[in-house]
Amino acid sequence: MKVNEVPQDITYYEGEKRACYALNDEGRYVVVSSTGWSTEEVVNGLAVEELAAKLEETRKAVLSGAKSPLCYHMERRQMNPEILAKTAGIAVFRLKRHFRPEIFARLNPSMLSSYAQALATTLDELKTVPE
Amino acid sequence: MTSEITVSGKPFIHHHSAHCESGVISALLRDKGLEISEAMGFGIGSGIFFGYFPFIKWVGLPISTFRSRPGTLITKVAKRLGGDIFTKKYRNLQKGMDDLRHALSEGHLVGLTTNIYWLSYFPNRFRFQFNGHNIVVLREIENGFRVSDPVLEHLVDCLTEDLERARFARGPLEPRGFMYYVKSVPSNPDLRAACIAGMKDSCNMMLRIPFPFVGIRGMRYLAKKTISSPDKLGFKEACRRLANIVRMQEEVGTGGAGFRFMYAAFLQEAADLFASAELSQLSKEMTAIGDIWREFAVVSARIVKQRAQSEETFEKAGGLMLICAGREEQMFRDLDKIARTLKA
Repeated sequence: MKVNEVPQDITYYEGEKRACYALNDEGRYVVVSSTGWSTEEVVNGLAVEELAAKLEETRKAVLSGAKSPLCYHMERRQMNPEILAKTAGIAVFRLKRHFRPEIFARLNPSMLSSYAQALATTLDELKTVPE
Repeated sequence: MTSEITVSGKPFIHHHSAHCESGVISALLRDKGLEISEAMGFGIGSGIFFGYFPFIKWVGLPISTFRSRPGTLITKVAKRLGGDIFTKKYRNLQKGMDDLRHALSEGHLVGLTTNIYWLSYFPNRFRFQFNGHNIVVLREIENGFRVSDPVLEHLVDCLTEDLERARFARGPLEPRGFMYYVKSVPSNPDLRAACIAGMKDSCNMMLRIPFPFVGIRGMRYLAKKTISSPDKLGFKEACRRLANIVRMQEEVGTGGAGFRFMYAAFLQEAADLFASAELSQLSKEMTAIGDIWREFAVVSARIVKQRAQSEETFEKAGGLMLICAGREEQMFRDLDKIARTLKA
């Protein structure tokens, strides 16, 4: 890749830049800042869309009463049950039970606060999902 | 490049790097008076690799990687240059933060391993649950720390709360507050011997691990899986897998083409160091291989974007990967031979 071939497509970097290695006119490697590559945007877009779609599905499931808000907040933090269980310090099977709304509703405050701490949310946020 | 004063009063120049680990170790060494480029650190620490692990899943996708295992590069560089490096992991968060403040007060630049999701100074789409991101802490400021993140162009401030979460995040490859700093490094280390050791190690990892998922073998395995994936997994799932390979190759701070261009830059510097025309030739070959990896990314993105209407096929994408495998195999065999003849 030559310096003038380093992609400068405006993508999702929010003003940040990434370093790329490219050859200058003398054939020496130099570090060039890149604003992003459209190819990268396509594959990243696919992953982001997938996460967003899954989150939206979960949000609807919470509103319809099929899942507890805990499940939504876990996915919002891009966690899976294994990571959240470790962070909150409980067993995975207990965590999964807490995805059931009727069980989540009965949780004691200390359990809830350890979830809130693990997910970096407030207690009120943890009990609801955005409408 | 931005400059800043460290705790010990020395000027600190922030270099924008492609890869977090090699960027951090070269920054730490520069602070101790050893001028070393990121690419050189990457080569000496044997950062280049290939691996495909179908049995380890991350968000339901098998892991593919173009770099060596997170955390190994730093210790390898320090060892091969004869540096004395302090490393420690913590069980206790408070102890980890206290030690960080203590090391800073002693005038060290401190490297930390963190979870990238909790570093809120990153743009949102850079953030995902990955526990192997490395940063350099310069000094403590009000409510946080002044941080030199090698993959960003400028210095940033990180909130204490964010840093605590990031250092002690749980999950795969837990950082456990991993902290390190260079205690001392010889002012005139044997750079040539270190380069040779790095090259030989890389050749071994790429060519000689008797395990079908790593090195050149892994590349061929993944290429064949890619070609058969639309039939076996269905078109949609095959696209997800393909997109994930390209993400690992281009997106996670690689300097382009899954670190291949950075390795070419290392070979170029090594060619100057040894005054070797052969190494210079290999650097050109590595650049050419990198260009094929870029083409693979373009072809893959077209498949993902245009779905079934695309003229590009999985056969073509997998074929390009096979070409890369063939040429990299030859490249590393040549490098292996040359590294044995070089005099330290």
